[in-house]
Amino acid sequence: MTHVTLQYYAQLREQAGASSEQVSTGAGNLRELYDELRTRHGFSLPIDALKVAVNAQFSDWSRVLVEGDTVVFIPPVAGG
Amino acid sequence: MSRFTITADDVDLAQLREDLMHPGSGGFCSFEGWVRNNNEGREVSGLEYEAYTELCMAEGERIVAEAIERYGVLAAHCLHRVGELKIGDIAVWIGACAAHRDEAFRACRYIIDEIKHRLPIWKKEHYLEGDTAWVACSHTERAHEMEPPHRHDRHEGHSPAHEHGHHGSTTVAFTPDYSRQTRLRDVGDIGQAKLSAARVLVIGAGGLGCPVISYLAGAGVGTLGVVDGDVLDASNLHRQVMYDARDVGRRKVDLAARRVAALNPTIAVQTYAEPLHAGTIADVFAHYDLVVECTDDLASRYLANDAAVLTGTPLILASVYQYEGQLQVVSSIPGEPCLRCLWPVQPAPGLAGSCVESGVLGPVPGVLGTMQAMEALKLLLGLPRANDHALQLVNLLDGSSQRLPIDAAGGCALHGGCVAVARRAIASAQGQRDIDRTFARLHDAIAAGYAIIDVRDAEEIAVQPLPVDSLCVPAALVAAGTVELIEGRVLLVCASGKRSGHAARLLRQRGVEAYSLAGGLTALSMGAET
Ligand SMILES: [Zn+2]
Repeated sequence: MTHVTLQYYAQLREQAGASSEQVSTGAGNLRELYDELRTRHGFSLPIDALKVAVNAQFSDWSRVLVEGDTVVFIPPVAGG
Repeated sequence: MSRFTITADDVDLAQLREDLMHPGSGGFCSFEGWVRNNNEGREVSGLEYEAYTELCMAEGERIVAEAIERYGVLAAHCLHRVGELKIGDIAVWIGACAAHRDEAFRACRYIIDEIKHRLPIWKKEHYLEGDTAWVACSHTERAHEMEPPHRHDRHEGHSPAHEHGHHGSTTVAFTPDYSRQTRLRDVGDIGQAKLSAARVLVIGAGGLGCPVISYLAGAGVGTLGVVDGDVLDASNLHRQVMYDARDVGRRKVDLAARRVAALNPTIAVQTYAEPLHAGTIADVFAHYDLVVECTDDLASRYLANDAAVLTGTPLILASVYQYEGQLQVVSSIPGEPCLRCLWPVQPAPGLAGSCVESGVLGPVPGVLGTMQAMEALKLLLGLPRANDHALQLVNLLDGSSQRLPIDAAGGCALHGGCVAVARRAIASAQGQRDIDRTFARLHDAIAAGYAIIDVRDAEEIAVQPLPVDSLCVPAALVAAGTVELIEGRVLLVCASGKRSGHAARLLRQRGVEAYSLAGGLTALSMGAET
């Protein structure tokens, strides 16, 4: 299991009910992690509508999770 | 038919009213000036009007034409009596009809004020005591002088811009005092001169636009362009702090121009009362040094990005969601990332939350708009800025903010570079403009041979059913095949025109001659179907 810190923005924060959380996950990469979270929190956004950043850098969804990573999920927002 | 009449005959009210009937009118407003039985404490038995007729005719025509142009009313007429009148007679009759009541009221008001002010007409009052006196009819206060000067848009050519300020009547003798900012060593008089020479376009005069426009006007940015197609709604007031409760229903571009004139009369304001579109946006951008995108519309944001990249104009983007916001500065310098480097294609409507659907706390666009104003001033003044190109995320609940650097090499560069990507996107947006169709009534669309498809959800349809025959296919299922069986052209309808526009584009790709009702059901004339 990998221990990571997750941060959610916008719709994801709303659906997860929190700005951040710590999880232990068996997911190997970011894509698997999001799929897991999608099931758990009922996220409505498909993966290709999102950006993901790890340790303050935008990342590829295939990036392998490393112990202690901080993962940020960012949806597009349109309000003004 | 002439729009101004001077007559000694009795007034045929029914005929005057009938002459102004216009099928596009949603409102008619008339004003009657009556002869009253007293003036300045003296009892009046009647009066006599005398006019310099030739001059009156020319000037009267001009005034009515100005009102039509100024307020965009469909038709207007003014009649002025001359000769002997008794108590209760109509001395002046003015009528105006317009699509909406507000223009009709304001046109009426304009005409009577100008008539009183400008027409060479003299009034001789007959008093009960038997004597008479000539009374001047001018020197009235003109309500519209409190409004920003504007003309109603005609949208001919490709630059529906209107100038305010400098040449307008609201300009007053005022010398701005910029000392609090010129005292900053990095600003100084040289910086102030840069601001005064700068031209900034602000797209959207809403929650983000209000602080942007206010701060840039206050700072002395010489020319401000303001784009907004909306009128003020009461639900805007919690976050759009330039406006007042009494402004509800009025065009935001006019209100914004008025606000700038009140704040800093030395600023020239150019207003654009319709959203910019793919055909003209690059031409408009070419007139500005910097663009600040402040709409709540993803399509507008992408279009602005593409036009900024193509014209090499720096662009400051921001958007908000509930308690948080995102900020990105697109430098439009080759090799530096744009919006599409981060989000290559525009997300489908509904994926990105809006203020209407998701709610927002007023200070959130206030903070992000203020940050946009700050970025704009930094760029114009050449102040030090972060040297990475980043997406900045601001969460106002927990107070956190983070900058995520955008790697230009992983974005548009993989698809020919930002300029090539922007050029393709603008070309395709231009093609899609063809999809929107405007109708006052759905009956008109049916008469024009369109089959109506309602793409709203069942719950929405239950609340507001369409007054015409339609096929109901929710937007999400529109590509499933049913619609393709319809022959001929179809008009897709939703609440705002966003879902129907998206669905129509999908259907076009499948060979259906699909159109979208521009602006959706909210754009239809109220009550016109019944
Ligand atoms: Zn790009």
